[in-house]
Amino acid sequence: MLRSIRVSILLPFLIISIGLGVLAWRSYALSARLEDGVNALAMQYAGYAADITARRIDSAVRNGLFDASEEWQQLERKTPNPDSEMLSQWLRSNEWITSAIYVPDADPASSIFASEPAGGATDAARLTREFYTSSGLVRYTYDPARLVEHVRPVLHQQPLMQRSQSDPQAQLAIVATPQHHGEARLTDGFTYVAPLAPPLQGYAIKAFVRTAYGTSGWENARYFSIWVSVVALFLTALGALLAMRGLNREAETMKLRGALIANVSHELRTPLSMIRLGAETLKRSSKLTEKQRAEIEDAVLREVLHLSHMVENVLDVARIQNRSTKALAFTPVRPRDLVTALITTYESWITSRGFEVTVQTEEAVDEQLWDRDAVERAVLNLIDNAVKYSGDVKFIAIALRQSADHVVIEVRDRGIGIAAADLSRIFDPYYRAQFSDTQTRRGAGLGLTLVQQIMVSHGGRVEVESSPGIGSTFRLIFPRQRSQAAEPVPALNVLPEIGSRS
Amino acid sequence: MRIRTSHLVVAAVSLLVVSAYADDRKPKCTTPPAECERIIRQMLSGRRYLGVQLQELNPGLVVKSIVDDGPADRASLHPGDRFMAVNGKSTKDATIQDFKRILSDAKETGRLWIIVQREGLLKKIELRMEPYTKAQIDKIVAQHLAEAHSIASSAPPQP
Repeated sequence: MLRSIRVSILLPFLIISIGLGVLAWRSYALSARLEDGVNALAMQYAGYAADITARRIDSAVRNGLFDASEEWQQLERKTPNPDSEMLSQWLRSNEWITSAIYVPDADPASSIFASEPAGGATDAARLTREFYTSSGLVRYTYDPARLVEHVRPVLHQQPLMQRSQSDPQAQLAIVATPQHHGEARLTDGFTYVAPLAPPLQGYAIKAFVRTAYGTSGWENARYFSIWVSVVALFLTALGALLAMRGLNREAETMKLRGALIANVSHELRTPLSMIRLGAETLKRSSKLTEKQRAEIEDAVLREVLHLSHMVENVLDVARIQNRSTKALAFTPVRPRDLVTALITTYESWITSRGFEVTVQTEEAVDEQLWDRDAVERAVLNLIDNAVKYSGDVKFIAIALRQSADHVVIEVRDRGIGIAAADLSRIFDPYYRAQFSDTQTRRGAGLGLTLVQQIMVSHGGRVEVESSPGIGSTFRLIFPRQRSQAAEPVPALNVLPEIGSRS
Repeated sequence: MRIRTSHLVVAAVSLLVVSAYADDRKPKCTTPPAECERIIRQMLSGRRYLGVQLQELNPGLVVKSIVDDGPADRASLHPGDRFMAVNGKSTKDATIQDFKRILSDAKETGRLWIIVQREGLLKKIELRMEPYTKAQIDKIVAQHLAEAHSIASSAPPQP
């Protein structure tokens, strides 16, 4: 049955894991495809941008050259006989032309020449160009670098219309003497180098398009999807593990509960049969001596007390486990009175079992807000345990102490002790430490559970020290409440309850 | 005609302006003379010319004057010749710009076949545009040096 439960719990986790795996795989494939698409787009865009810009620059160059010749012809039309002053003026207005000569058809010998002031760049590359005018020929030299500067503003126009922010954007530059033309893949994008037409064939347009997908590291969608899936798978595995552990614990509790039923029924049957036997004897045999009759009556009474004690324990555990807040009624209690009263009540029972009891209480212990019944039951359970698991030395020491922050009730015995392996589990419900004679000692495995629950509900805890063969010491540690405001609570609420419970 | 003071003032001012301008323009070309000379020689060397000045009729092209001892002169073109066709293209209705375009197309070889109309007769003239002669280039250099650098043209430039 446990096997089938385990399968039924693990199956959903398995399905979730498979689903997550498929999701991760698809997400990876999808982002890889998306990345390919974005990269192809960026690559294409870089090519377009470089080509378009190169053609724009070419046309700007052609326009510049054409505009210069047009301007000269305009000047010539205004002044039929050009002089060198006019040529200089033309030179100045076309800053990229370095020198020019005008040769009239009518008299080649009367040519005019103008040159710009010699700058530092006399060794710069010079290109020569000429055009015919209606009356002659103009031949000029120009500096290609300066011509490039002249047309550079064209770069500021984005080559393609931007429809949205996410569209790729190209960074454009004019590069001289490029090593290669065409595309190149960079770590974070693509470049495309497109050559310019003559006369600027030594230059090229470089377009660079950055791709968001090209980034490495966690921002990369592919890796991100994988990482998220790994984390999700890990969490699923963790969930499965926790579910399995909870299931195991539950299974164990179920096993223990089964043991309880056997236990309790045994526990109930033994005193019941004793009681029945006693009662029957009393009824049938009228010839009993007074002493025999008293013995039987005592035995019956003891068994009834034991029975009621056990039933109370079971009921209390169930009640506190169900978190019913009405289970406890906190009232001001003098711990010293409580302990003394308890011992007085049960001293005869304990001594009748052959035990020696010592009680040690500090004088001035503050009044505490406790549930009197519950604390009594806790102490009584500890005493009961000490009696039950006694060894050859029958000794019980009960102490009440008060420290700065705590009030401590200690129950010490010299019984058989508890093995270290069992120590951590003795407070679990239905758990009983394994002794060679566990079955001979009566109990339901609920006493210490109840003690611990009572302590928790009082804000305190139970400590236990034990070594097999030497004895155990249980300490009930309560938080101490200072008594400066120890007003006596109206006793009307308290007294009837105490009366009704005992 | 009375001379007014305002005229005098205008004359004086314009004289001042002109003299200042002339002063300012004294070194017309600030490039070193040797550099200028080098550039001029470089630009003109190998440059072909025809040596003819045209006049644009409406429509048509007519030779206005011939440069002495130029290629056109040697090919016996005469002033008054009308160009009917050049290098297989009709120039009957052409402008000077059209003719220049034909020249620039032929600048590699420099060969021209021209059909001219002279006194009613068509005549075919075959000629070759020639590079500037060294004397011509020297003359241009000397002229520039004299004008823009105020250097006497007595010293013939070295090749």
